[in-house]
Amino acid sequence: MRIALVPGALALSPRYASIEDPVAELRAAVETALDWVGPQPRLLGDAHGVIGELLERSGSSSDGQTADGVVVVANGSATRSEKAPGHFDERALAFDDWLREALTVDPGELNHLDTSLAEELWADVEAIPELATLLGGPGPADFAPAETDPGPQRPRVRLIGVDYDDDPYGVKYWVIRWEVA
Amino acid sequence: MMRLGRHTFGADATLMMAIVNRTPDSFFDKGATWDESAAYERVRAVVADGAEIVDIGGIKAAPGAEIGEAEERARVVDFVAGVREEFPDLVISVDTWRASVADAVCAAGADVINDAWGGADPELVDVAAKHDVALVCTHTGGATVRTRPYRREYDDVMASVVEDCLAYAGRALAAGVAAESIVIDPAHDFGKNTFHSLEVTRRLGEMVGLGYPVLVSLSNKDFVGESLDAPVGERLTGTLAATAVCALAGAQIYRVHQVVPTRQTVDMVLTIAGRRQPARAIRGIQ
Repeated sequence: MRIALVPGALALSPRYASIEDPVAELRAAVETALDWVGPQPRLLGDAHGVIGELLERSGSSSDGQTADGVVVVANGSATRSEKAPGHFDERALAFDDWLREALTVDPGELNHLDTSLAEELWADVEAIPELATLLGGPGPADFAPAETDPGPQRPRVRLIGVDYDDDPYGVKYWVIRWEVA
Repeated sequence: MMRLGRHTFGADATLMMAIVNRTPDSFFDKGATWDESAAYERVRAVVADGAEIVDIGGIKAAPGAEIGEAEERARVVDFVAGVREEFPDLVISVDTWRASVADAVCAAGADVINDAWGGADPELVDVAAKHDVALVCTHTGGATVRTRPYRREYDDVMASVVEDCLAYAGRALAAGVAAESIVIDPAHDFGKNTFHSLEVTRRLGEMVGLGYPVLVSLSNKDFVGESLDAPVGERLTGTLAATAVCALAGAQIYRVHQVVPTRQTVDMVLTIAGRRQPARAIRGIQ
């Protein structure tokens, strides 16, 4: 299964197009990742419908093929600079560093996401728990009874790439791709 | 499509036509570009400011010393050739009513004949056709060349503008000027008092959609000055307000002294109207 993480930046929407695209590099990374995931992916966390809109425009949302990819829409804090949407919060950089580490090195840590802090930092992490499940396997509550439990069966997750990792407007964006066997 | 001599533009393009006077006595710059080197500097400056067109004129519109054909040629023909050589991508317009002068400047590289006097010389259309250049067809209400309006009245000034511009465009077509190379201009203040120019501005939308792009020449004119009691030199704000109204109505070519503020005004209006995207918007949509 192919999984891509992309941000739900409204600037990616054709409804908000400028003559000069202010998110050209991000857009290129997002479009490449969506192509890579394949047609009709399952979409998680697309609160503003931006990514669904991009998929629809590219024809990826309605070509009738079987859905086996997942697109997770999330991003880091929006408080990384004085001009950031949520103004500067000194906790933002450390929070984003932690989240990046969890996403790219130790997905199991995503289960320990501090959602209260995320909310204070205007981070879009609503879909992260589902991503944690996809990348980290079942949580403890899902384990079988002890006598039959073969132990946690963590999926084999391969990080394909971090295609975008920047905060051009005070919001931390990532485009990250994984393959899960 | 809009075709101005050797240059083509999209049908909905908006273009800045910068005024370059080869006169010692024009009302706004008072001879600032009479010296040839100053005139070249003016062309370079307006090109740097983003003007797509320069409009070179050898005779001021207002009454004054008689300028004969030979003198007009001497003022503009070689200059047009020099500008053509230095700026191959620039649209060169020449403000003249004389067919003989138009013929000479077109041979020297002009792309547009801007006839501010409404076809006073009937052979001008033939020159435009012969050189396959664009022609600006203006309305003057039948005014004599280089005269001020005096007690001129219209039953309906905008109806007169539409009728005369279409008639002039029809003569141009009949002479062989390409339809995509005809531009119409209500000619603010030409054969019009301030009330007429204001009405033409207010009703400009009636010219848009006639099948030809509309040019407006508003820059620092008396109708602005009289509306605001502002002398020449203090008319930019009023000019830009009139520009905004014309842009909203759909004018496409703006004959201007000040390129950058006019371009910004037009672009802002078109952006508000949803006919142009913002240059680069990110606020609130990161």
